[in-house]
Formats: sequence, structure tokens, C-alpha cells
Amino acid sequence: MQQQEIHNFLLNYFQANECPILENHPGYITIQLTIELDKELMNRPFYWHYLEKTGGIPNPMSLTFITNKEEAPEKLKGEIIHFGSPRLHQIFDSTKSLSRYIRLYENHQYHNSQTPLLPWLCMNVKISYQCDRKRDVFKSIGLQLINGQMVENFHDRLQQITLTPKIPDYSFTLSPLVKPKSGMSRIENYLRSVIEGEEHSWAEEARMRWNQDLRLLDHFYEDVEEENESYSTEKKALQEQYEPKINISFINGGLFYLTEKAI
Amino acid sequence: MSVQIEFDSSWQDDFLHRIEHDGPWGNWELFKLAIGVENHLVIPEFEGLMAPSHLSNLTPLPHQLETAKQVIENMNGKAILADEVGLGKTIEAGLILKEYMIRGLVKKVLILVPASLVTQWAIELNSKFFIPAITQRKSYVWEQCDIVVSSIDTAKRNPHREIIYKQDYDLIIIDEAHKLKNNKTKNYEFVQNLKKKFCLLLTATPIQNRIEEIFNLVSLLKPGHLGSETSFYEKYKRDARSLNDDEHLKELVNKVMIRNRRADTGIEWTKRHVETIPIEFSAAERDLYESVTALKSEGDWVQASSFSVMTLQREACSSREAVFYTLKNMLQKKENPTPAFENQIQYLIKKVEAVGQNSKAEKALELIQKVDDKVIIFTEYRATQMYLQWFLKQHGISSVPFRGGFKRGKKDWMRELFQKHAQVLIATEAGGEGINLQFCNHIINFDLPWNPMRLEQRIGRIHRLGQEKDVMIYNFAIRNTVEEHILKLLYEKIELFERVIGELDDILTKLEFGNIEDHLIDIFGQSASEGEMRIKMENLSSMIEFAEGMKKGESHAAAGNS
Repeated sequence: MQQQEIHNFLLNYFQANECPILENHPGYITIQLTIELDKELMNRPFYWHYLEKTGGIPNPMSLTFITNKEEAPEKLKGEIIHFGSPRLHQIFDSTKSLSRYIRLYENHQYHNSQTPLLPWLCMNVKISYQCDRKRDVFKSIGLQLINGQMVENFHDRLQQITLTPKIPDYSFTLSPLVKPKSGMSRIENYLRSVIEGEEHSWAEEARMRWNQDLRLLDHFYEDVEEENESYSTEKKALQEQYEPKINISFINGGLFYLTEKAI
Repeated sequence: MSVQIEFDSSWQDDFLHRIEHDGPWGNWELFKLAIGVENHLVIPEFEGLMAPSHLSNLTPLPHQLETAKQVIENMNGKAILADEVGLGKTIEAGLILKEYMIRGLVKKVLILVPASLVTQWAIELNSKFFIPAITQRKSYVWEQCDIVVSSIDTAKRNPHREIIYKQDYDLIIIDEAHKLKNNKTKNYEFVQNLKKKFCLLLTATPIQNRIEEIFNLVSLLKPGHLGSETSFYEKYKRDARSLNDDEHLKELVNKVMIRNRRADTGIEWTKRHVETIPIEFSAAERDLYESVTALKSEGDWVQASSFSVMTLQREACSSREAVFYTLKNMLQKKENPTPAFENQIQYLIKKVEAVGQNSKAEKALELIQKVDDKVIIFTEYRATQMYLQWFLKQHGISSVPFRGGFKRGKKDWMRELFQKHAQVLIATEAGGEGINLQFCNHIINFDLPWNPMRLEQRIGRIHRLGQEKDVMIYNFAIRNTVEEHILKLLYEKIELFERVIGELDDILTKLEFGNIEDHLIDIFGQSASEGEMRIKMENLSSMIEFAEGMKKGESHAAAGNS
């Protein structure tokens, strides 16, 4: 993410959260937080608790983010934001947590007859292959809850479709034959079987490196006979470092009601 | 091969609950942003760094990228970065820090560097890496700021120490970590007690092949990894230098240390031009030098070790002020001086007073005027430093002093004064380390240190990455003195000045005979005749040449990347 992308991202994030943008110039932006976002980002529960108890007038903070020090005025006070800065990570996390679940309808243009909308369950996940190194794969899976059709890259496909939070006129939704809960386990099982079918030489290599380090450690302790605490701590540290495992974590997901031809 | 798959299902109930109760549902724009964020945070390959593509103000060199990659992929963020001087260890550390921050693995960071480099570190991290590092000026900074740069001397003192001990650091970076070789020091104890996840130790001096140093440094990175201190030393005798013979230790060193050599980087370095400038004493100066030298034969010159005679000789080659200062000190420190001792000193002080000029200073002035550019003068003596500043001022040349003992702010200020306003910087030995002066390319060695490593450090201040011009080195040596001997018989013989930086420390660590300085003191102090001295010097330089031959013939234990 270059600094300009960060700038745009911040703008989008605060606009999506309905925060007034007070200043937007090359190199910096100033934002008036809403009460909700102040609570979300500023970490001052005591202030809000006190305010609610006393019934005072809430005064959410405004924030200035400097996205390019060279372009911003020299004396400007604000937080310098860069890729990797804790504040940006916090906003990333908040982006994810504020909108984890969603329900949308296709805003179709078939106005001459009643159009059925089919339910889709969407799950966006991150698969992390982890040992002493790490690799992630982003997957977006869609499952049609009537006929059980499963589709990859679902999120990309959704970008081609106009969506709306309210059910459009001349539409009715079909109720799912596959229950959402069992839909979730279908997707889980699908992901598991895909992963199991993959080649895992990375894990083998990690185990080899792990063994090598273990042998080295053993060498330094070979004369020590009794149970040794630092030996077991070191051994455990090596396990944490090397042991290969795969984590599937949930990013977000939702229900999408789409026309038959949409996907 | 089966790998355990963990499926996070903690969200399921939450999701189902919302389906049942029809909401509350999220906002589509945010939902899409979240996916966008995730795509930025995904680590696409097991290997490779993400940081470089986020750093528009920096083009790291290949060896710097490789180092950062090694540390993150193979060393789990616990490493000794031991590149030769001037290869950009700061950049490597910055890359590693940035990478961990992007991956969200590091938030709280403590960076301990020499006082004179605190500001520079903070500036580089901010401007090149967009990392908001703060220099420690107030004690609340430790708790409130995530990335703090400080000197270890400040950090280890209370009240700071107590506060720092309470912090959980994700990453600790220590520059000039060779100062932590000894585990009996306060600095070592302080670092050992820090709570840390990852740790980078930066040093220009490689781990010399000494078991003890390896044990101490590795124990900082991976406490307990080498077993207990006692059992370790039972296995490897404390002073043994058998590192090269022990496969396990060798393997271990390769696992925690990276050492890039200048020769391997493929970078074009500017040249070094060395010029030796012989200088004749004036009659009075010669007289002072000879009188000091004569002390050696005054057998019972009250406990005068050959060392202090040697010191006086070397000082006489620098300035009369330096001699005077030492004489005065000798007299003051002496309890109940005998009249003979006092007379002796008074006699020498008379000789000092008789000296009316400083031949070296005049030569330096001439040279500075000719060069007509920024010049750094190195001297071993503070008295000489002060004299030179006064002398140059008399001739309309502005200069700033620089000493190791200066506080951080003062060092920064002096560096800036030199860069922007003064023509000359006069540094004493202690000023040699930890200041970067690439904008200057002339060095005058007003007098010569006896430890060749210190010469390396002097030159390393300006001959480093970022130096765009050829570096000019002028060595002053007074004819027919110890100074000329050491220059002619040793430094020129081993081609000290032509060597690239870092080469020499490799060679010297190969030598098993200890400190060169001690040898020189022995040679000059104990030799009965000129001839004996010459032969001993020959021996010494042959030893160094021999070690060099050995170095060429074998690959190093610390050959870096595995």
C-alpha cells in the first residue's frame, strides 16, 4: 500500500462510517469522529461512561492523519500514518469487525414480473499455512442454498452485480433448502478437502528444519541428565516456531439474494 | 503428509443469530474495504519480503534485502547482524522492523544505540521507513510511545530502568552490540532482563572466535539455548579458540549471525588515497623529544614504566600542550614526590616552554588551505585538540571540536555545525565511533593510534555507503621518532591504509597473540637497540602477513548465510 492508497483508504473508511471530513488535502486529512467511531478508535471508555452517567454533551474528537509529511504543512499536528503503523492496523481491524456480516439483495431491473431471488451464503476466509514461515491464501466461497452449487471467487463475482440492502420491488426470496448452519459446514468440509488434496512439501521441509534445530539443542544438553527446565522451554519454543499447521480464519460473510442468472 | 487444520468457527453462532433475527447487518462499503485490507495483508509466498514495496523513499541494496529475508525466514527474528563497517546495518534493521510491523507481529519496540546516533536513527526510521520512532527525552515516553530510540546509558539508569523492565517489547534492536560481549557488565545485565520477542544485535566487529563471546551473545538472543553456563564451559574450555573445529558451534553461529563483506556486495566503492607526510621537528621540539626519550635510560626514574615514557614520546610528536598536561598530572598524582622527581619534571617543563612552534600544526594549516574543503583532523590528545582549535582560529579557519564524552544533543549540534558552517572538525579518539560524516572526504591523522582497529574506525566515519568522492587520508609522521617507526615499519608494511574496511579486523582476529598495542609497547619499550626494535617490528608484520595468508586459504566460521 503506497501512501496515496492509504490516504484513499482512510477517506473511504471514514466516509463509510459517516464521519464528516473536515479537511482533505494532499498529504493529510482531518476527520470529525462520530460518537460511535470515537468509542471504536479512541479507547477512552471512562470518558464515555462518565458522560452517560452525568448526561453531559458528548464531544467526540477530531483526528488529523498525515499521509505524506512532505506535502503536509510543516507545523501541522497529527498522526503520521504509514503501512505498518499501529493506528492503521487498528483501523484495519475495525474495518473488519464493523462489517463482519451482511445481507444484500440484487438490485435487478426486471420490473415486468415478480422475480424470484435465490439465497447464497458467502464466506470470505484466509487460509494461513504456518511454520517458521507463513503464507496466506484468500478465498471467497459462495454456496447456493437451494441446489447446493458451490462457487469460488464469489466476492469478485459480486462486484459485477448492483446490490442493495432493501429488497427491490417485484421480487420475492426463495427460502433456503440448505440451512445456513449446514451450509457453513459444507463450506468448511469443502475447504478441508481442498487443502488435504494439496501438496505439503513446505510442512515436510519445516519438520526437517525443526529436527535439525532439535539435534543442535540436544547436543548442548547431552551431558545434562536430570529434567531440565530451560531445556524443555527451549524445546517448546522450537515447536512453536516450526510446527506446521494450517489455520482457516473467517474474515466476513453474508447472505446474498440474487437472480437466477446472476452467478 | 498430514498437517493439522484449525478451522475458526467462533463466529458461527454470531452469524446464525443475525440470520434468525434479521440483523443487524453491516455496511457493504465497509465489507468491501475489509476484503481490500485483507488482500493487502495477505502474505502471498512463504519467502520474500513485503516491506520493500511499501518504501518509496528507499532502494535497499541486494545484500540488505537478503539479510532482512534471512532474519525473518530462517532466524525467527533473533540475529546478530555483523556486516563490515559501512554496509548499512541500520537499513537492514529498519527493513526487518518494517516487515514485522506490516505483518502485525511487532508493535512495541526499543532501540538502543550510542548516544551520538540516537537522532540519526530516529530520522532514518522516520524518513526512509515511515516508522514514527521517537527519541527518548522524557521518562513517560517509554510507556506512551511504541517505538523509542535511546542510548543504553540512559535506559539502564533509574528511573528509566524500572519503567523499561515493566514493558513487554516485541522487538529490541541494539547497535554496537560488541559492547555486550562481557556478561559481567551492567549493560549486559540490563539487556538480559528486558522482556522481548525478537531481538537484533548489530555490531561491526564479528564474533571473534572466542567461546565466551559466543556464549554471551547467543544467550542474549536465545536464553538457555546453550545449556547452563557451567556445563557449557565444561564442554568448551573457557578460553579455547576451537570454534572452527566444532561443527555444532559453527552451525549455531551460522544460525544466529549474518556477516556481509564489502567484497561480496559487488558495490563500487570510492577509492582511498593515502599520503604520508613526513615532518621535521624544529630544534626545540627535537630537544623536547630527545629529553623525554632519555628518560628510558635513567634507570630508576621513579617507577616510570616504559609505558609512560612511550606516552610522553608520542605526545611530544603531537603537541607540547599534550606533554605539558601529562607532566602536570604526573606531578599532581604523585604522593610525596622526591626532589629528584620534581626536578626531573621541572626540567622537562622547561623544555616544553622552550618550544615555540608546532611543526605539524603548521603543516596541517598549509594542507587545509590547499585542500580548501571540509577536513577532519584526528588526534589522540585533548590538549592537542584544544591547541589546534586555537591555532586554526588564529589563522581564520573555523573548526568544531568533537569528543566521545559529549552529550547526544551536543554531538548532533557539532556535526551540524561542521556540515553547515565550519571547515574543520577536530576529533579525539573517542569521537571516532558512532558518528557518520560522509559529506567530508579528507582526513588528517595528526597523530597515529597504536591500535590499527582505531584507524579503521576513523576512516570508517567517512568511507562508507553514501560517500561519493574518493577519500583522501593524510598521515602525519615526525621523522626519526616512534611515530615514523610505527608508520613505516608496521602500517605501511601491512598496507593498512589501502585495505578495505573490515578486512583488517578479520585478519587480526585470526592472530592469536592478543592486543597489537601491547606488542608495540613491548617493542618500543624493551628493545635495547634500534636494530632489535627493527627485527621485532619485522616479526610483528610478518605475523600479520601470515594471518592474512591463512585467511585467504580458508573459509570463515562466520561465513554468513547458510
